[in-house]
Formats: sequence, C-alpha cells, structure tokens
Amino acid sequence: MMLKLMDSIKEGFCKDIIKTYTVNKNETYIEVSNEAVKRLCMFIYKNIECSLINLFANDEREVNDGFSVYYSFAAKKEGELITVKTTISDTSVIIPSVTLEIPAANLYEREIRDMMGIVFEGHPDMREFVFHENWPWDLHPLQKDFSASRKPPFENRRQDFVRIEGSGVFEIPVGPVHAGIIEPGHFRFSVAGEPVINLEAKLFYVHKGIEKLCEEKHFEKVFFMSERISGDESFSNSLAYCQAIERIAGIYDVPERAAYARTIFCELERLYNHIGDIAGICLDVAYIFANGQFAMMRRWCQMLNEELTGSRFLRSVNFPGGVRREFIKDKEKIVLPAMDRLEKEFSETVDIIKSNAMFIDRVENTGVVSHTLAVELNSVGPAARAAGVHDDARVNFPYAAYDKIKFEVPNHNNGDVNCRMNTKIEEVAQSISIIRQAVELMPSSGGIIEPVESLEPYKHAFGITEAPRGENCHWVMSGENNKIFRYKVRTPSFCNWPVLCHAVKGNIIPDFPLINKSFNLSYSGNDL
Amino acid sequence: MFNIIKKSIQHGVVTVDYPKKPIKTDFITGKPEIDITKCNVCGQCIERCPSGAIVKYCRRDGQQSIGINVDECIFCSLCADICPQGAIAMSKEFELAKKSRDELRVTEAGIKAGDERKDCELIGKQLKHNINKYFGRSLNIREVDAGSCNGCDNEANALNGPYNDIERFGISFVASPRHADMLLVTGPTTRNMELALIKTYNATPDPKLVVALGACACSGGIFKDSYATRNGIDSIVPVDVYIPGCPPRPQAIIYGILKAVEKHARL
Repeated sequence: MMLKLMDSIKEGFCKDIIKTYTVNKNETYIEVSNEAVKRLCMFIYKNIECSLINLFANDEREVNDGFSVYYSFAAKKEGELITVKTTISDTSVIIPSVTLEIPAANLYEREIRDMMGIVFEGHPDMREFVFHENWPWDLHPLQKDFSASRKPPFENRRQDFVRIEGSGVFEIPVGPVHAGIIEPGHFRFSVAGEPVINLEAKLFYVHKGIEKLCEEKHFEKVFFMSERISGDESFSNSLAYCQAIERIAGIYDVPERAAYARTIFCELERLYNHIGDIAGICLDVAYIFANGQFAMMRRWCQMLNEELTGSRFLRSVNFPGGVRREFIKDKEKIVLPAMDRLEKEFSETVDIIKSNAMFIDRVENTGVVSHTLAVELNSVGPAARAAGVHDDARVNFPYAAYDKIKFEVPNHNNGDVNCRMNTKIEEVAQSISIIRQAVELMPSSGGIIEPVESLEPYKHAFGITEAPRGENCHWVMSGENNKIFRYKVRTPSFCNWPVLCHAVKGNIIPDFPLINKSFNLSYSGNDL
Repeated sequence: MFNIIKKSIQHGVVTVDYPKKPIKTDFITGKPEIDITKCNVCGQCIERCPSGAIVKYCRRDGQQSIGINVDECIFCSLCADICPQGAIAMSKEFELAKKSRDELRVTEAGIKAGDERKDCELIGKQLKHNINKYFGRSLNIREVDAGSCNGCDNEANALNGPYNDIERFGISFVASPRHADMLLVTGPTTRNMELALIKTYNATPDPKLVVALGACACSGGIFKDSYATRNGIDSIVPVDVYIPGCPPRPQAIIYGILKAVEKHARL
C-alpha cells in the first residue's frame, strides 16, 4: 500500500516534491514546497486510511535556513508513518491551515502559533492557547533565539470564551483551583437549565515549558524530564523517549530481558492507572464501598511497583538502551502471586459493581462519544476503543516484547462512560495476562542494557508507546555534542481533551465529574 | 449487599498505623547520602545530576566538599549508580520535611533578583505561635496544584485512601480555600498559576499554614529556571514546611503535615 501511495504521490506532485526519504524502517518523510503542502496532506488524508497523529514545527534556521513544519500521518493498520515536511524561510511566510478539512489539526496549529510564531492562514479560531493573556503576543519561546530562562514582564490582555447567547443561557465558570485534589484547568460551561450546551476548557495552567527546557540538554538529562511529563505515566513517556533515542542511535532491538522487563512495567503502570480510574468513577457516583475496594487494589499495585523498583511511580527504571537494573530477576515469586491475588479481588469487586443497578444507571448512556467524532478528532486509547476505534499502539507499532505476547484489545461501540469503564476493566484482565506471559517468557540470562554512548547530530526519530491513557507520540531530533535539538511531546491527553469537551454536551452538569473521570486525562501531559 | 459485607469482613481495617508504628523501609528509596571520606570530588555527579542538586561548597573548616541540596533532589539515584568511588548511596530515610529550606540545603537558596515575593497579606503572622492550640485537633487542608506533573497530587490523593486515611488525625481535605487552615501546594508555580495561587492564599482565613509538597514546590526541582515557572512556591507565598521528594511517599507527606502543626512530636 505504501509503495502504491508513494508512486501516486510522486506522479501527482512531481514538481513540488523536494526530497523523499525513509528512516528507521517505517518513517517516510516527504519534503514539499510551501504551496503544495496542503494539497499533499489532503491527498494522503483522503487516499489512505490514516489519521493525523502529530503536527509540529521546528526552528531549523541553524541547519536548514528556516522553520520546518511536520505533518505526521499514521496508517495505523499498516504500522507506517508518513510525515510531510515543509520549510519556510521566515515566520512571516504564510502556510494554509488544514483545520477545516482535518479537524484533528486544530489545536496543533494554535499551539504552533503561540510557541513558534508560525501563522496558519484560514484557521477558524486563532485565539491565544498556551499563554493566558499574560505573555507578549509576539514572543515565541520555541524559537532558538529565545533564552529558556527569560521571564518577560506580565501583560494584561483579555480574551473571551466562545459565547452562547439566548434567553435562559447561563455561563458557569469552574476552576482553575478545583474542589478535589486534581490538577488545575478552567472549564466554562454554557447551560440552559441542567443540560450543558457547550463546554470550553481553558488549559495550559501547568505549562512549564518542558519542550524548551529539554533543548540544549544532554540526552541523559532529558530522559529524567521525560519521566516527569505526566506523573502517573512516567514509564510510558520515558519509554517513548527511550525508543526515539535508541532509533537515532541505531538500536532497534534492546536486549531481550530489557524488552520483557519494559513490557511488564508498561502493564504494571496500566494496572494501577486503570484501577485508579475505576475507583474514581465509583467515587464520583458516591459509591464509597467500591471506591475503597479499588483504591486498596491500586495501592497493592503501587506497593508491587515499589517492591520491584523502589519507586511507586516506576521512575528511574527505564534508561536509553534498556532498563537500569535487574528489577525482575528472582522476583517472579513476588509478581505472580500478586497477580493472582489482584485478579481474584478485582473480578469479585467488578461483579459487585456490575450487579448494582443504580450504579449502572449513572454510567450508561452518559457522556457519549460517537464513532465519527472519535475518528475525526483522532481520539486515542480506551476512550477511542470504547467508541469503536480498534487501535492500539501495542498492536500497530509493536515495541518492547509485545510482538511475542498474545493479548486482545477490547472494543466497545457505545462510547459512553460505561463502555470506557468496561474497556478499562477488560484491559486490566489483559494486563494481568500479559504480565504472566512476560514473566514466563523472559529469558533467564542475558544483558539488560545496551548503553547509548553518543548520538549522531541532526537525526530524528519517533517514539510511540501505548500509555494507559492512549497512544503516546514523541519526536526527538538530536543536536551536536549528544544534546537534544528538539523534543516534541504529544501525549494522549492532548488528543482526547477536545473529545471530552464534545462528550459533555447534552449531559447534565452533575455528570461532568463522572465523564471527566472516565477519560481521566492528564493536565500536565497536555500542557507540558 | 451480602457481598459488600463479606468483602468488608474479609479485609477488615487495612490502614497503616504510621506514625505510631514505623513502616517497613526495605524497598524505600530515601535521601541520597554522600560518604565524604570516599569522595574525591571528581565532579561527575555534579555534571550529570538532572536537577542540579549536587554542588561543590566550602565547608566551615574551609575545605572544599560536595553536598546535596535535598530540596532540589529528584531521588533518581543516578548519582549513586555512577559514582566511580561508590561514595553515594540511597538511604532509607524518607521523613525529610523541614521548617526551613536552608536545613535541606548545603548552599544558601537565596531568592534571585526578579523573584521577589509578591504582595500577599501577612496579617496572621503573629497568631502563628498559637497554631498548635488552634489546629491541634482539627485541620482542614486545601490542595493547590501550581504546576506539578501530577505525581505529588496522586500521593496527596492517596492520603484519603484506605491505607493512609488521614482523617484519623482529624485532618481532612476541603473543597474551598475559605474552609481551609492549610494550603498544600505542589508544583514550582507556573506563570499561568501565579495569580490563582495568590488568590487562593488570600482567600484562606488567617492564621494559615502553607506546606510545599515535592521537589518542584520546594525549589523548582527539575523544572527550575524555565520561562514559564518560578523556582519554588516560596517566591510567591511564605512557606511553613518543605516536604522534599519526587514525589514524597504518603507517609512523608503525613510527617510533613504533622510537623507543620507540631503534632508529630506528641505521637
């Protein structure tokens, strides 16, 4: 399919294509002129089954005489990545927006405007996105001449939310400091009576400038930053980063023991996250008994994490090239009984909650995400799988030892809170089975790390993993002296926030916490 | 219903009796310790420390030495792994909360120019010496995330769970700063959260306590010196207790909170 597509692209765009090349086995890059970039993106988007998984800009003035914009499409079923790249000499050069045709591009284009200063012509909503009216409008931190520690004075502009008008329409502002112990974000509900007409989420309250901080740092230091993109997804994020670094260094297969260890830790992370999410759903419908049960099981998982690695959040486990220590060796006797105990308790508690009609009544048909919406906005993870999108990075882009392990990807179609919860419940069972298989299949001897000594400058690679919340897509470009030139992070939360805002529409306000919890998105992973 | 009762009986009370009984520390990654006698000050750890917590400093006796600013440490144990002399080891010590940031450091923190404290109301200061009397039996906490990675928030959330159940101390998390006696702040304070943090602080009735939770809140941690963050919350609001860690485990948070109300000594 790829060859056929490339042939027809070469035929149709022979005048506009500057260069095409394939790196790292499955990453195809097509460099194209500014005029043709939108046409080519549309051609790819319409002709093959693919989704826009990343869109980012890179200040390549030092190496390439200009700013480059990368549009990454993934043909997920084939496991291929096609990236369209165009270079503009200056930020004043106009690039046409693709948002109206590819809705998933919306937030990426707004983010690039704020962070890099490239304006996309024809974007329907170019309001400020990353900075909250306190940042100079024409200052863009990801440009290379901006110093990472520069703190410009506060400005005081005012930006309006989307206004819904009509008799009886009220606005309800919520946040950024919420009632629960969660991260900050501002939600503006427009309601008429109880049902929500529109929800606009103003995020980026926890924007720390991670992408900028990573630049010009040694790749080892950036690794520790990648663990702290989103606290409860430490392992998946660091693994995506490690994979990108390993691909740049030419390591496609880490030592087998490391691959199995990574698989086990990925699933341990999924376990404690999913169980915590289900606990949260129970808490938000005031089902305290079930919340206590799941919170207890989450704690078991985290205790197991700590016993194996010394960290409750699986930090300092990964490392570019493998894993840092022999974490699993001689600990099978701890892991397997822990899985048995967890499986028994989990299935018994799930039986109890599923037989509670009042509970099911709250979760069924609440916060429905349609299949079309999930596809158009490139929803990922359990939220997409609950709405009939049968994608999982573990299957589409196999990494670690997932290609040697048998597992099923749950798929539901209704797209409501109940389906998202059931997806997670089934994934917990699958994770337990994956961990058992991995412990069994893991070879008893061999290395655990093939250290990455140095990186060739100006090479780039993707790192894709399936975090508990969905597909993680990181892109790393190396710089000189083993430093990182650009680190683009796209977590599943970035894709799913707009989906959440649509899912709330038509539901009553008291169901918002429940819907929010069923997605359980990371604010930090979105805001960076 | 029968199944629910059965489960309740099956598990009984799972709450860990910390701090009355010490917890098992076998697997805990605590504070890194440097054995000065082994160290030859080669400087590898200083160069590679991801958060810049390890520094060279001049000891009181005038000798050059190496030390760790624990408020900046992210407990990644890299220094222990790479030290060619094997002079650094991760201890099991996790009760690290201190009332002053300098107690956690070997070099002075010093608030940088342009980082001077914003204007918050400091009326309640003189009431503070009676704090034990006011909050000894009941303390309401408002948690504010000022830019954390959500690790610390997860651990703060765990305090409400069955294992740590902080309500046994008469401490509870409340929904509004208006109801709170203590702010538990995580994150280095991002540019976009500065105003919200100041407003939350001012909305909390006096006398009030502020606890900085995690390396970011103590010093900026790994996110310090960014265009979008400050180096710790004490450049915005006055802090009573610093709890280092990345993230600190729930028992370390309990220790810190009890230290703030000077209750830990009596337990």
